[in-house]
Amino acid sequence: MLPSELLAVWKRKGEVMPKYAKPTPGALEAAATLIEAYQAHVGEKKKVLKAVVSGLEDEGYEYRFVRGLAFILDRRSLFKCTSKVNPIELRRRVFHAASTQGYPAKAEKRRQILLQVAAEAGMTPEAVDEYLYADLDSELTLEKFTPLTPHELLSAYNLSLTQTLLFDATELIFTAAGNWQNILHAVKKLGLIYEAERAGDFIFRITGPVSLFKLTKKYGTSLAKLLPHITASPFWQVEAKILWKYTNELCTFKADSRKHGALLKTESVDTQYDSTVEEDFALRFQALKSGWSLKREPEPVLAGKHVLIPDFSLEKHGVKVYVEIVGFWTAEYLKRKIEKLSKTEARILLLVNESLACEKLSALTKQGALEILYYTRRVPLNKVLQYLEQASQTVKSRQVELLKSLTIRFTEPVVAYEDFAAQTGLSPEAVREALTSKPPEGYVALHNAIISEEKLMQLTEQIDAAMAPTGKLPLPEAERIIEQEGIKDATSILEAAGYKIKWHGITAEKAEVHRASDHEK
Amino acid sequence: MLRLRFDRGTLRLDGDVATPYGKWDSRIGGYRAKAFNYADVLDYLKSSGVKYVDEVLAPPPLERLSDAVNLRGYQQEALNRWRSAGYRGILVLPTAAGKTFIALKAISLLNVQSLIVVPTLDLIDQWRKRVKSLLGVDAGAVGGGECDVRMVTVSTYDSAYTQAEQLGNRFLLVVFDEVHHLASPGYIQIAEMYVAPYRMGLTATLERGDQRHLLLPPLVGDVVYTARVDELAGKHLAPYVYERLTVELTPEEQRVYDAEMSVFKDYLREKKIVLKTAADFQKFIMATGRDPRAREALLARNRAFKVALNSEAKLSLLAQKLDAYRRERVLIFTLHNDLVYAISRRFLIPAVTYQTPREERREILHKFAAGEYRAIVTSQVLDEGVDVPEASVGLVLSGTGSTREYIQRLGRLLRKVEGKTARLVEIISKETVEVGISRRRRLKPREA
Repeated sequence: MLPSELLAVWKRKGEVMPKYAKPTPGALEAAATLIEAYQAHVGEKKKVLKAVVSGLEDEGYEYRFVRGLAFILDRRSLFKCTSKVNPIELRRRVFHAASTQGYPAKAEKRRQILLQVAAEAGMTPEAVDEYLYADLDSELTLEKFTPLTPHELLSAYNLSLTQTLLFDATELIFTAAGNWQNILHAVKKLGLIYEAERAGDFIFRITGPVSLFKLTKKYGTSLAKLLPHITASPFWQVEAKILWKYTNELCTFKADSRKHGALLKTESVDTQYDSTVEEDFALRFQALKSGWSLKREPEPVLAGKHVLIPDFSLEKHGVKVYVEIVGFWTAEYLKRKIEKLSKTEARILLLVNESLACEKLSALTKQGALEILYYTRRVPLNKVLQYLEQASQTVKSRQVELLKSLTIRFTEPVVAYEDFAAQTGLSPEAVREALTSKPPEGYVALHNAIISEEKLMQLTEQIDAAMAPTGKLPLPEAERIIEQEGIKDATSILEAAGYKIKWHGITAEKAEVHRASDHEK
Repeated sequence: MLRLRFDRGTLRLDGDVATPYGKWDSRIGGYRAKAFNYADVLDYLKSSGVKYVDEVLAPPPLERLSDAVNLRGYQQEALNRWRSAGYRGILVLPTAAGKTFIALKAISLLNVQSLIVVPTLDLIDQWRKRVKSLLGVDAGAVGGGECDVRMVTVSTYDSAYTQAEQLGNRFLLVVFDEVHHLASPGYIQIAEMYVAPYRMGLTATLERGDQRHLLLPPLVGDVVYTARVDELAGKHLAPYVYERLTVELTPEEQRVYDAEMSVFKDYLREKKIVLKTAADFQKFIMATGRDPRAREALLARNRAFKVALNSEAKLSLLAQKLDAYRRERVLIFTLHNDLVYAISRRFLIPAVTYQTPREERREILHKFAAGEYRAIVTSQVLDEGVDVPEASVGLVLSGTGSTREYIQRLGRLLRKVEGKTARLVEIISKETVEVGISRRRRLKPREA
């Protein structure tokens, strides 16, 4: 974050955009020159270093850009007072002497006073003169500098520039992929309020308590501090309202990872488990190879205007269950948590460690799609699996009900259950069950797909024609005819069309297709 | 049952009752009200018979105050008016008229948890000393890395603002020292985010160039008492003499000044820019961000000003004046820190700027009070509030056109000492913009 006078922006038609330093040869050279200057001036006074910086300004680089870079480099520098005598003590002596003898109007008198102080302090009068204000900022010596690459410097500058703009922000809207826990934790820690909304992506609007009453920049600094958490995501988009102080107009600032990701490169933040209980659960659950895929810190779940980021999501065949593990708790905490969880429509399994209760629990009713499972030492995986199976059963039967209640008009001659399930997000079993128990009008249900009666008729005619000379057809021939139409699983069609397959051995080459009636004869 | 809570600078009203001050907050699904409406919300709930629990206040423990404050007649009058106005209001009194005493008397009178908001860290120290000596308790402090909340606590405006979320429900009385600062766009939210029903504003000069002081009465109370410098001068304050001396720039200085100013003026003429008001100037400053030539013009103007403000001729005259007033206590004011240090080095006079370590600043002021140091050179840090020991001569070497600054500087010198006539001497350069700045500076001093 830079001093506000170093904020350089483009502004037109209500939009405001920082003047980002692109990694052009010119900008990289300025960055490199400054970094080298800091490295070369270790052991020298700050005012000498600053002369180099202003020299760069004179060479035609934009002054705010140059000073902004220098500001960032200052933060990586250690400046110290190197005077051997304490300047405060030295001044005390000098001021005392001058006060008693009268303030020197002439150089001669001044020298006399310095001589006297120098004699007392065991120094030369020149040294007294030199070190009198050795503790002033400009007189400090650069003792240590931690270098970085020109590219890194430009990224740090661009990020700081954006943060400086956000000082005057009244609200921030963002979407991001991943890094949720981290971002929302930061939102909370910074005393901000978010509202979540789902429109494809999750969209978060960040404001503060007082924002309800007035457009305020009070939370600008906090929003600026939030930014690096957002830009650490692989994909992000931000939009901020900026109260432009010079004209008092409300401007919009927009940036996203596609356009600005490279400019605002932020070090990524590691995802860490909240506790070892969670790690233990994840490892053991994955070892089961139950067919349920486990994901840590999944996408948020909308609960009213807020979101939850459950510890895990478990998914199988379109059925998704979220798992939240609760460590230490009080009844009040649990009640609040459950209240929040019950606002969501997602299926949530709350694993509560009974032995970590801070107080006796009065009966808590489970609500909606929320299931609470108590345990004492380790999370009991068998109970979790039981719940998962139950959940997928419930989901399945509900989907079956749903499908049966719908009248679906199919246009394709053949629809595979799996494809339909993938398209609709339903489970394949539910699709099969629903469509086989009540096939849509004009369709016949097969083992893996439904087929229109018309298509079935057409295929039958084709096979019959091929069969006509001998009354039988090798299975591969029949399969070829069917698969030409783009249909897999020829055998179930043959069966549905009333053919029988006569096997001679185990290979399909020798099998023959007959009309069912012929064969029976 | 309505539940009233403090939530980060606002009030949460949990329950099914809408109050006249509550606003529906869809983000949290509940009602919220501004913290400063706390007293009004309570009044409403009481009068309408709504059942409620009030969990708003979280004040530090009360301590027993011993009251050693004796008010002068006009101070008592100011306090009485504030009481009659419902323990709210702004008092306008010249520097050195003893605003501190009135505020401490008010705290002792109400005997409630009180926060005093001040502009600088130095003022925190001074108020704490006064609280200790006049109320007999240790005051807490918020600011400069400290956060110690007590029955009587002193905070900077900065900290009162940034920590409003945590401090807003801890005090019942808030005293705003130099209350004109409160009107700035950021700080004004202090007044809104604190629940304290009792409020006092203190200032020597309420008026602001941007007129924002008009926003203060609804938040702090009306101006309930005003005393002018000329009403108190001679009676309660020392009489003063103002003197203006002009010097001519050296020929070399004049040449540089003219050259730089013509760069600036040519640019304005070419772009047809007229700089009359503060807003005009703000616009021009903005242009310097876009246009390198505008920036060059601004820098030229600044260099010209610097030549005029820091003229060698002024330093020679300063040397004479220092000699003439060698038996007086002299404060030297300059605009730029560079000049402060140049004077300090040349005349070996203690300097006080924002860079001066706090301990050393304390020591310098103490020694000046004790008479060991006869002079101090400073930039603007002493302009306001800092309790500088009584001085008899002020030498102004450069300054801005602000009326406030002029009065504050004058006020420095007006602490009442028997038989003293304070003297304010301004040294300006002839044939430069400084003549105009000085005239503007004196335009309205008597309105304070």
